[in-house]
Amino acid sequence: MPEQTAPRRKGPNFWWGLFAFNMAAISGAQIFEWIDRTTAYVLFALSLGVLYPAIASAGRRMREHGVGPAMLRYNRRMAIASVLYVLGLGIAVALYKRGVLGPVPSFIIAMLPALPTLGMIWAMARYLVEEQDEYLRHRATLASLIGLGLVLALGSFWGFLETFAVVPHVWSWWVVPVWAIGMGLGQCWQKVRGA
Amino acid sequence: MKNRLKVLRAERAWSQQDLAERLQVSRQSVNAIETGKYDPSLPLAFRIADVFGMAIEAIFLRD
Repeated sequence: MPEQTAPRRKGPNFWWGLFAFNMAAISGAQIFEWIDRTTAYVLFALSLGVLYPAIASAGRRMREHGVGPAMLRYNRRMAIASVLYVLGLGIAVALYKRGVLGPVPSFIIAMLPALPTLGMIWAMARYLVEEQDEYLRHRATLASLIGLGLVLALGSFWGFLETFAVVPHVWSWWVVPVWAIGMGLGQCWQKVRGA
Repeated sequence: MKNRLKVLRAERAWSQQDLAERLQVSRQSVNAIETGKYDPSLPLAFRIADVFGMAIEAIFLRD
């Protein structure tokens, strides 16, 4: 009797590739005006469903490579917050472009991308609390401090240039992306020096 | 801080992963401690000493 093997599950690369292909196809169709902006956004929102198997398979792959439970939870929380952020930002921009809104609706649509961003910060805080491996926690803490240093340095530098009208105004939500870039640089720096 | 982790591990024919599993830490942690790039906390140093059945000062040495 032939040996039965379990069907091979698709890896994260397949799902991320499918997601990237969908995004490129929708963007292309919109650029060439085969579909209107609203249809593009609906298709884009539907394509986010592909991220669920992508995140699940990435989690499985990481577990196979011995990634700890705290990092798995962090990745899952960041992925959920990122999807909500993209959705929230898209909806907020689409509503805002439809016309002038009152202060209360404006506040509500501003919260759509703001709350997932707070979720990302919360996910980082939870990781630092939940990580039981002191060395990995030390590395993450150092990286987040490097990110914070970059935010403070760039913010002060740019702020004074802005005060004296040398540079244009920059929205303050940039602090989180700059912090994340700083954290990434911090992790790379630690990797390069072998720490 | 210097340490004798690599020698002690070799004497027992343990890989970094073996030691990491005994200590319930990541392999990166063992590597960082072994190469002197990270000094463990006192609780982890006691766990390392327990795993090897030795005193802390017989494993970790002053610079």
